Amino acid sequence: MTTVIKMKRRAILAFMLDRPGVLNKIAMLIRRKMYNVDTLTVCSTNKPGVSRMTITLREDDEARVTQVIRQIEKVTEVVSAKELNRDESYWREVAIIKLETDGERLEALRKKYNFEILDRRNHELYIVQVAGTTWSIDDFLAEVGRDRIIEIARTGVTAMEN
Amino acid sequence: MKGTELVIKALKDRGVKYIFGYTGGAIMPVFDEMEKQQILSFIMSRHEQGAAFMAQGLSRASVSAPTPQIGVCMATSGPGAMNLVTGVADAVMDSVPMLVITGQVPTGVIATDAFQESDVVGVMMPISKQTYMPLSADEIEKTLHEAVYVATTGRTGPVIVDIPKDVQLQETGSDYRFDPQKYRPELPGFYFHPSPERENIHRAIRLINKSERPVMFCGHGVISSNAGQRLRQFAEKTNIPVAFTLHGLSAIPVDHPLSLGMMGMHGTVEANRAVVNADLIIAFGMRFDDRVTGRLEEYARETAVIHVEIDPSEIDKNVPTSVAINADVGEALEVLLNNPELMYKPRRLWLEKIGEYRHEVADETRAEIESGVGAEGQLLMKTIIHRLSEITEGKDIVVADVGQHQMISARFYNFQVNNTWFTSGGAGTMGASLPMSVGVKLARPDERVWSVSGDGGFQMNIQELGTIMEHDVDIKIILLNNGYLGMVRQWQTLFYDGRYAGTPMKSPDFGLIARAYNIPYQQVTVPDQIEPAIRAAAEHQGAYMLEFLCDPTEIVLPMVPSGGGFADMIVSVPKP
Ligand SMILES: Cc1ncc(C[n+]2csc(CCOP(=O)(O)OP(=O)(O)O)c2C)c(N)n1
Repeated sequence: MTTVIKMKRRAILAFMLDRPGVLNKIAMLIRRKMYNVDTLTVCSTNKPGVSRMTITLREDDEARVTQVIRQIEKVTEVVSAKELNRDESYWREVAIIKLETDGERLEALRKKYNFEILDRRNHELYIVQVAGTTWSIDDFLAEVGRDRIIEIARTGVTAMEN
Repeated sequence: MKGTELVIKALKDRGVKYIFGYTGGAIMPVFDEMEKQQILSFIMSRHEQGAAFMAQGLSRASVSAPTPQIGVCMATSGPGAMNLVTGVADAVMDSVPMLVITGQVPTGVIATDAFQESDVVGVMMPISKQTYMPLSADEIEKTLHEAVYVATTGRTGPVIVDIPKDVQLQETGSDYRFDPQKYRPELPGFYFHPSPERENIHRAIRLINKSERPVMFCGHGVISSNAGQRLRQFAEKTNIPVAFTLHGLSAIPVDHPLSLGMMGMHGTVEANRAVVNADLIIAFGMRFDDRVTGRLEEYARETAVIHVEIDPSEIDKNVPTSVAINADVGEALEVLLNNPELMYKPRRLWLEKIGEYRHEVADETRAEIESGVGAEGQLLMKTIIHRLSEITEGKDIVVADVGQHQMISARFYNFQVNNTWFTSGGAGTMGASLPMSVGVKLARPDERVWSVSGDGGFQMNIQELGTIMEHDVDIKIILLNNGYLGMVRQWQTLFYDGRYAGTPMKSPDFGLIARAYNIPYQQVTVPDQIEPAIRAAAEHQGAYMLEFLCDPTEIVLPMVPSGGGFADMIVSVPKP
């Protein structure tokens, strides 16, 4: 049996010029440092020509994370990069889930989770959109019952400091 | 104007004089324009890898020239560009500025596996400082100016510009305008701190003044920022001994009383012992490579470390620092030197201790050098390099290849002049020396250049003898032929029970090869011939080749085994 060591989850937020190859460079850099990226989201910002990237990965060693951030900062197109403090930032994602369940069961979950029904094929087949923290989405999936789920699409984490 | 005209214009504006390269379909338009305009000298290598190393040589050697030039190499798409890869990867490891221009298939067929297409940007991205592909002629000039700026600023490195053939041929619109004087590149991530922060300087000086057993490290950054003189003043003012990385050699004279010579895997006993016993390390422009530190877990655990380094991502990467000074080494030294807080200290006990380290193997080494031959009567490399050093008074340029002869050159050539030592360090690329020395000679035509190779590495780019012949490049070639891939053989002797897998090597008649290229040649087999042969080569006008038949059993010592700590340093040949 392999033991899974749970390492600390971290989010790195980087702003960069919207130029070809930048995403590739950063992805390659993280691979080179032998990390497995948990999630990676890229989107535009309110500043034209500047994109933001949220990277989450697992690492306990502060020095290694600092190294990755310094290397990212060194990429010529990068405006800034830093690690987000867990306690002072919001980490959110969205999941679209196709599942088999009955309406009553879904209704019962309403109070606890922030979801929207996007589609309903018959009484049993739903497509719902859940938004929130990674944990709350995980909890939702657990509570619905993993065996009822047909397909999941998750956006990965995007984050912002408060 | 056409794209190709803008290529030549940008290069001319940037002070480029030489282009090293090889032609082919996708780069023909640029070559054609070069021929029409006749303002750049073109040096045709015999293999694109050779062109990349020639460009490197030019850049490396012109760091200390009054008007530094950037080495430029140029190749066609696909196989031409791919043959540059090793030279580019080598340049990035050693932070050598270089501009690489490649032709690419026309934009209309990119990513269709067109004839001679390869993804140059994709391949080069992880091994270069920056890559570009201009998609219209309007972008060409700006791209090349930015490329040279990026390559030569901050921590320097190679930059690639891959230009599709149709873009080369495109005409710029009538509203095209570009002013290189006014142009400022927009690169947010590309900032560097030329001058150090006061607070850090203050903290560093406090540590230095307090220290009883300090040692300074001189890395490549000292050479790149032309700071050898200031480093020497700093050492003398504080009375602190200096150890060199492979690339820091020649920054100050190796026989300076405070010099410890090279440190690391094949460093001197005194340098490595000093590092282990120091209470403070002051590192200037170096990156704590594993060949320098040995096993990291044991390295400088109890020692305070001051790291002066231009690239912030190198700080705290391998070795945690007590004080980090993120700045150009030259500027940092200037500020340190002018600070009135900096104290002179006699440090008598420490310098005495270092004197003891120096004597540990000195007699043994001297006896070997004097004997000149190994057990079977063949020449020792250390005697040859020692003699070369004496004859040239340590003032000539040495370009070493990779292997035992490289480490022996680093150890036994008594460098007296700043920036006279060139070699592939970070990548350790065999075959680099011969082409690199061509670029070095073109950058510094008034100095004598010795290219030192082993029989293995020499044959990796032996074809560049053709370039040397065609352009009458005055290079003195020293071929140390031991019939083996010597450095690997050394590891086999020490760590693989003497099983010589893949290291014995049959070579051609090098005399005939030299003759084919019209290069005068002498073979040297006994110690008495060493001096007259070196003198003959030195005095000859033009290229000259000396082949020395060397002892295959010579071992370069001391040696810290790979992955070992300095405590594991092998100081003398193990008796069987
Ligand atoms: C391109 C390349 N291939 C392989 C190596 C591994 N290597 C390092 S030193 C060496 C032996 C060099 O032999 P030679 O050129 O004869 O020089 P010597 O060590 O005998 O002085 C080899 C094979 C390398 N450094 N570069």
